[in-house]
Amino acid sequence: MRFCLLGAALLLPPRAAATATETEGWQLLAGYLYRDAFEAFERAPAGSRARELGLAASLLNHPPVTGGKIATAEDRLRGLIAADGTDDTAMYARLLLARIAHLHREAPMPEIEAAYRDVLRADPRHPAAQIAASRLALVLLYQRPDLTVPQRLDQAAALADMAGAAALPEAACAYYRNLASAALFYEIRDDRVLAWLQQADAIGSEDPIVAANLRIQLAEVARQLGRRAEAVAYYRRFLASILPTDNRYLTARERMQELERTAP
Amino acid sequence: MKRRIRPLPLLALALLVTAFTFSAVRLFRAKTAAIVDPSIEVVRLAHWQLEPGVREAIDAIIADYEALHPKVRVEQMDIPGRAWKQWLRTQLVGGNPPDLIELASYENPDDMLARYFTPLSSYLAEKNPYNADEPDLRDKSWRESYAAELVPAPEGLGHYYNANLLEYYGAPSTLVTVRMFYNRNLIKAALGEDRVPRTFDEFVALCEALQRYAQESGRPIKPLGGSVFNITKLTDTLFSTVTQRLAIELDFGRNLEFSSHELQIKYMRGDWSLRSPAVRASLQTVEAFGRYLSPGWVQLGREDGMLQFLQGRAAMLATGTWDAGGILMQADFPVGAFKMPSFRRDDPKFGAATLGQVSEAATFAALPFGLTRASKHPERAIDFLRFLTSRRSNTKFSSISKWLPVIKGVPVPPDAEPFRPIVEGYVGGVNVRILGGTSNDAFVQNLHLLSGVNASADAFIDRLEPVADRSMPQEMARIARVNLTTLRQRDSVLAGLYFTRPPTGLARSKFDRLAASQLDSEAQRLQSLRTIEDYPAPVRRER
Repeated sequence: MRFCLLGAALLLPPRAAATATETEGWQLLAGYLYRDAFEAFERAPAGSRARELGLAASLLNHPPVTGGKIATAEDRLRGLIAADGTDDTAMYARLLLARIAHLHREAPMPEIEAAYRDVLRADPRHPAAQIAASRLALVLLYQRPDLTVPQRLDQAAALADMAGAAALPEAACAYYRNLASAALFYEIRDDRVLAWLQQADAIGSEDPIVAANLRIQLAEVARQLGRRAEAVAYYRRFLASILPTDNRYLTARERMQELERTAP
Repeated sequence: MKRRIRPLPLLALALLVTAFTFSAVRLFRAKTAAIVDPSIEVVRLAHWQLEPGVREAIDAIIADYEALHPKVRVEQMDIPGRAWKQWLRTQLVGGNPPDLIELASYENPDDMLARYFTPLSSYLAEKNPYNADEPDLRDKSWRESYAAELVPAPEGLGHYYNANLLEYYGAPSTLVTVRMFYNRNLIKAALGEDRVPRTFDEFVALCEALQRYAQESGRPIKPLGGSVFNITKLTDTLFSTVTQRLAIELDFGRNLEFSSHELQIKYMRGDWSLRSPAVRASLQTVEAFGRYLSPGWVQLGREDGMLQFLQGRAAMLATGTWDAGGILMQADFPVGAFKMPSFRRDDPKFGAATLGQVSEAATFAALPFGLTRASKHPERAIDFLRFLTSRRSNTKFSSISKWLPVIKGVPVPPDAEPFRPIVEGYVGGVNVRILGGTSNDAFVQNLHLLSGVNASADAFIDRLEPVADRSMPQEMARIARVNLTTLRQRDSVLAGLYFTRPPTGLARSKFDRLAASQLDSEAQRLQSLRTIEDYPAPVRRER
C-alpha cells in the first residue's frame, strides 16, 4: 500500500496530477529531499501560491546552496506577501523571510528582530507566529549582549502568550524549557526557573527523553532552590516513570534519599 | 615483419579477463536462484560484522527462513568495515542496493536515510507474526517485543532511530558492552585461583601478580594486552567513574546528564580544567596500571592486541563484546570476562569525586538493519527482518554468535552472561579523551606519558592543556557551523511538514515535534556562540 501511493498519484488524471505533484513536492521537502522537491514544484502548474512557496522553501537548501538562490527565495516570498498578505501562505512566507534573515543570511540583529515581529504583528494566533515568537525569544536570550541577563530573560518571557500557545504544544513546551535552560545557562537560580519548568511539564511532551529530562530537572532545580518537599516529590515521579535505558536511577534515588535524610 | 609481443598489456588483459570471469561467476551464482525460477524472491542483506559467529548465526536463521518459505532465497553480504563507506555509497547511488542494510548514524546521514531508506515506524507499530506462538509477545507490537522497547535514543547513540527525521529506520538484533576478557589459565596460575577483581586496587594487584608470575616462570607474558583502541576502552570507564561528582556539579542543565556541550562551556568559563583534582586523579588511574602494558603498545593496531591475547602473550584484553565470538571460538584456553571494577568512595587516591560503578542502562540495541527504498521485495524483506528479530531467531542468533540478545525473554547464553549490561550504577563523569577536535588526537599522541616507569599525569596535562585551550573554542565554533546547516535544512523540512499536516491538525504532529526539537538545537548552538563571545579563551579559575 505504502509503496503504491506515489505511483498511484502519478497515474491520476491531468488536473488531479497537478495537485498531486504539489503535494509530492511538500512530501519530498518534508523528507529532506530539497532538489527533488524543487523539481516537483517546478513541474506543478504555475500560478499557485502554494507552488511559489514550495519553490522558495526548497530553494533554501537546494544543493549547492548559494547566496543567489537564497536571494531568489526571498524575492519569491516577498512577491507572495505583496500579492496577498492575509492568507496561510503569506503567514508562512513571513516566517521563512524571518528565518532567512536570521539563519540563512545572518542579517544584522535589528533586521532579524523586525522580521520576526512582522510575523507576530500579522497574525499573533497563527502557528507561524508561535514559531516566530519562540525563535525571537532565542535571539533575545543569546544574541542581544546589549541587554542585561535579567532583561534578556524578561523580554523572552514576555513572548509567552504567543510562544507558549496551545496550537503547538510540543513547541510551547520547548519554549518554556528553553526559558529555564537559558536561566540555568546564565546561572540564575530563582523561582521563575522552576515555574517555567512546571509550565513545560503541564503542557507535556510525547518525546519520552524530553519528558524524562523535564522530570529530573524539576527535582534538581527544586533541590537547588531549597524546596525540599517538592524536590522529593519530583524525584519520586522521575523514579516511578524511568525509562529502561535511563542510567540516572541510582543517582537520582540517592540524591532524593540525601534530601529525605536532611529533612528538618 | 614479426610483431613483438609486449608482456605488460598481455598481463593487464589477463588480469581483466580473470577479474571479469570472477565477477561474472559471483554474479551468476548470486542471481541463479531468481534466474532459474523467476518465482523465487531473493532478499539480500548486507553488514560489516565479520567477527566470527555473526555470519554463522545469520546463516542459520536464513536456513530456517528458507525452510519456512521455499520460494525465497536470502543472501548475506558481509562487507569489510574498511570498504563499507565507499561500498554503501556506490550501492545506493547505483540504484541496486541490497534490500536490507546495516545502519549506523555516523554512516547514514539524514539525507541518505530520507532518500534511500524506508521508515520502519509503522511496521514496528504492528505485531510481529513470528512471535504468534509466544503468549507474552503475541499481542505486543514488534517494537514492544524488544527488551527496552526501542526507546528513542539520544542523538548518535541508538542507530535504529533518527531524531531529526523522527522515524525508526532499523530493527536491531543485539546489545554490545565493553568487558575485560582474560585468560583463565594465566589468572589461575598467577593468583592460585580463578578470581576476578572487585575493586580497582584488586585489579592493579592482579596485574602485579601476573607480572611476577611472568618473571618467575620466564614466560613472555604481559598482564595487559592491546592497542590504543583497547586501552581507551579501559580509560573511558575509569575516567568516567573518578569524576562523577564533578560532572554533577558542572551539569548546568540540571538533568544529571553531563553532555559534551556542557563540558565545553564549563571549560571555557574556567569551571574545570585538566588540573581539577578529579580530572587529574582520573589521569592518574592510567599511571597506576600503565606499567603493566606491553612495550610499544601505543604503536600496536587493534588486530595486534587481539593476536597478543589469543597467543597467550597477554593475560587480559579490554574490548567490546562484538569481539566475544571471535575470542571464544579462537582461543585455545578458557576465557573469562569481567566489567572493569570501579572505586570505593573511601579510596584515598581516587574516591573523592566518585559515586561508584557507572550504570550501563543506556546500552542501546545495535546491529539494526534498514530497508532500502529500492528493494524489489520490500514486504518480503520486512518479513525476513521480523523473522530475524523474533524471539526464536534472536535466541538462535545469540547462542551462535555469543552476542547479547535484544528481544524480551530471550535467555542470555552462559558464555555471554558477563556481557549483560549492569544496570545498577550511577551516571558517568568527565572523559578527557573526548574533548573534541585536535584535543582527541593530542590525547592519543601523548598517552604514552601516562604509562611506563616514568608515567606522569602532570607531564601529560602539560602537553594536552595548551592543545585543549586552543582547540576548545575552535571545536565549539565548528559544531556551531555544522548545526547551522542542520537548522537551515529544517526550515525547509518544516515547511514541507506544515503543508502535509495530518487531518488531525498540527498539535503533536511531526511539524510540532520537529519545531520543538529545532528550538532546542538552535538554543544549544546559540549558547555555544554566546560562550565563545563572552570567553574567547578558557578562563583559568576554579571553584
